Amino acid sequence: MLTFSEARHLVSRTGLGVEWDSVKKLEGLTREKAVEVVLNPAPAPIRPAPAFTPWHKLEPMRDISAEGRKDAWSIAQTEGKHLQGWWIAQMLLSSSPFIERMTLFWHNYFPSSIQKTLQPSLLHKQNLMLRQHALGNFRNLLKAVARDPAMLVYLDGYENVKGRPNENFARELLELFTVGSSEYGQADVKAVAKVFTGWGVDQSGNYVFNADQHDGSPVTVLGRTRAFSGDELIDMLVEHPKTSERLVERVWQQFVSGNRPDKLTVQSLAAQFRRADYDIKALLRAVFNSPQFWESSSRGTLVKSPVELLIGTVRMANYPRESIGEMVNLCRLMGQQLFDPPNVRGWLGGEHWISTQTLLVRASYLSKVSRGNLNRRVDTGLRLPPKNQQEMLEWMLAVPPVNKLPDIPGNRRLANALMLDPAFQVS
Amino acid sequence: MNRRGFLKLAGALPAAGLLPELAWAAERKTKNKTEASEKLVSSSKRQKAVVLIKLAGGNDGLNTLVPQRDYSQYAKYRSLAKVPEHKLKEFPLDNGMSVNPYMTSLRRWWEEGDLAWIQGVGYPHGVLSHFRSSDIWETATSAFEHSEIGWLAQVLPQYKQGLHGIILGEGLGPMAGKDCHTIAMQSPQVFLSQVDLVEDIQPTDRGSPALRHVVNIQHQLHDAGKQLREKMSNPQHLAGFSTSVLGRKLESVAQMILNNVDTAVYKVEHSGYDTHANQINVHNNLLFELAAALNSFGETMKQHGRWDDVIVMTYSEFGRRVQENRGGGTDHGTASVQLVMGGRVSGGRVFGENPRLKDLDGDGNLYMTTDFRAVYGTLASRWFGVNNPWSGFGAVPFV
Repeated sequence: MLTFSEARHLVSRTGLGVEWDSVKKLEGLTREKAVEVVLNPAPAPIRPAPAFTPWHKLEPMRDISAEGRKDAWSIAQTEGKHLQGWWIAQMLLSSSPFIERMTLFWHNYFPSSIQKTLQPSLLHKQNLMLRQHALGNFRNLLKAVARDPAMLVYLDGYENVKGRPNENFARELLELFTVGSSEYGQADVKAVAKVFTGWGVDQSGNYVFNADQHDGSPVTVLGRTRAFSGDELIDMLVEHPKTSERLVERVWQQFVSGNRPDKLTVQSLAAQFRRADYDIKALLRAVFNSPQFWESSSRGTLVKSPVELLIGTVRMANYPRESIGEMVNLCRLMGQQLFDPPNVRGWLGGEHWISTQTLLVRASYLSKVSRGNLNRRVDTGLRLPPKNQQEMLEWMLAVPPVNKLPDIPGNRRLANALMLDPAFQVS
Repeated sequence: MNRRGFLKLAGALPAAGLLPELAWAAERKTKNKTEASEKLVSSSKRQKAVVLIKLAGGNDGLNTLVPQRDYSQYAKYRSLAKVPEHKLKEFPLDNGMSVNPYMTSLRRWWEEGDLAWIQGVGYPHGVLSHFRSSDIWETATSAFEHSEIGWLAQVLPQYKQGLHGIILGEGLGPMAGKDCHTIAMQSPQVFLSQVDLVEDIQPTDRGSPALRHVVNIQHQLHDAGKQLREKMSNPQHLAGFSTSVLGRKLESVAQMILNNVDTAVYKVEHSGYDTHANQINVHNNLLFELAAALNSFGETMKQHGRWDDVIVMTYSEFGRRVQENRGGGTDHGTASVQLVMGGRVSGGRVFGENPRLKDLDGDGNLYMTTDFRAVYGTLASRWFGVNNPWSGFGAVPFV
């Protein structure tokens, strides 16, 4: 039976903010049951998309003139901000925060950027695709990623044609998305690029296979020679043991602990994942039910991401929030600009979230959120349900506070102090 | 005014706190330290500083250092976006290149040997995306590597403790990285209002590595705030400083240096260099502003006897296409030039090869001849005196 503090741990690792009601819902359930509740969230509605200039309008603008290029750039910047705001609003309001976290996990695993692509409409489409597969099958997810128009533009796949190969997608498919840098050489990159020639984006911004631009000759990839189709090649790469092991490590560092898991744990989880035919939910089930996930020593070992801090804090106690535009801005200042990861490796995360600069932004944000409240007499909708100090501590922090607690009693004052404690930065 | 003359005058200055530094600077130059001055050295905290100026957007190297000897070849590529030939007499160098005529305010620094140029700087397989190429420059990687750790984050933690860098603006760029203690601010005043919220906390060995990291960084941040509050609560106005946006930023930097803020690097940005259309006037104006701000900065440092403690360096994500486009602008290119200034710069020299205008790559861009990591390596080993992570790229002896 989960104690309050165990239920809190599960919520803090899988939700956005430790919402009191979510913790209470899991308290008293068995581990297995609680994990099932998390893994099977009720479907939540997705907010309507902001208006985007479609690909077939935006892309040709760039070719007309220097002015056209400038206009297209401005449109992409403005609509890119709307897109970021759309996801932040979705994360603030969704009743299934776990889906948002998994979508963000995949966004970081298969990054694409509005700055490289300058196509916010395609990134929006990609986000819908990632959330559709977020708890589905990794094999299908990777096949969808390979066909995703934003990815085709981001990693130049749409310019990869017969006789004029572009190796960008091929290299990252091998190095980042599947087997990793130890397993392949430049000849494999060239061969993989050939297999994906002709995968492009059509007039309406959808995936298209251009048979006349495809080079269907046999190639040798990781020692196997044949005329692979793209999907056959993806199957082969997915089935390579390194692919599942690398995914396990990423899942571990996202949800369990900042430390690398030991080799045996990785291999065992990867084997379970393969036996489940790459069912993402099965992998997460195994991870969340692992003894290491529940060990008290894994509490407070993860640094909250900017998204967790910004959105989670508001959701947790219904604090009044900044405007969406300001939250977009804060996310950037804290180093996690949605739809614009720093590069194709995504955000490094972990301790890298905290530098002198980002900690200053975090502190300013938290103190603004909490102080604004203390001064306001009117009912702000703030909810601090715990009945005493002990409950407050257990609810708000993953580990004991570093600072001394305030002498004057009162939940609000205590909440403010705890939010500014270093322990509030970890999960 | 020479240093000796200034020193006499300085005796009458009310800013008593500055005197030890002045005395030290003068003594060091004459290599005739007295016991008394050595005592002063140890009791004062003179911090050496690198000032980086990012010319954001991609600075046109060919119109910054214009090929005078190869002018006819240059003019073949540029009919609208060219510096007129007769203007090249204003600031000629001794290697067949000539500085943009809107930068003549820097001529005296060149003549005094405090200004150097490095040309042909870039990396193999230059990337033409602003974002990627900026990342490459700021993380000292190759065209095929990705990193989030800035190049200075690989140097500064070896060099000193405490605050490593201050950025006037946004984006940590070359100082990104969890072990590099950097603060970004609009101005010292705005920073001070924010940092008041941060309580001090002593580093601890309790808790997870993640928590210890947060605590350690909070301690660093608090220290930086305390330091700036002490030193920058009432900075003196520096009369006559260039009033452009860049000038204002460099004035803030100058104030922090003169108030002995303990940090090793300052970074400011000068933006607008992405000159795809009607380049000539826009670019000349930018270089004029840049030169004026640098001149003010150098002048101020010299006046206060700190010129030997600073080195200013520009960088940009790339140069521009040799052939101008139809709109009188230039598109993204590769190799470009860097300017270096300071009392200890081996100036009056141009490092690196002149651009080979007849030998362009497939995109019509210049080939790089000096790897930017050799420039970084020089700063690492000769300025900071630390282990050089880029020793494999050679050195450019500008300091």
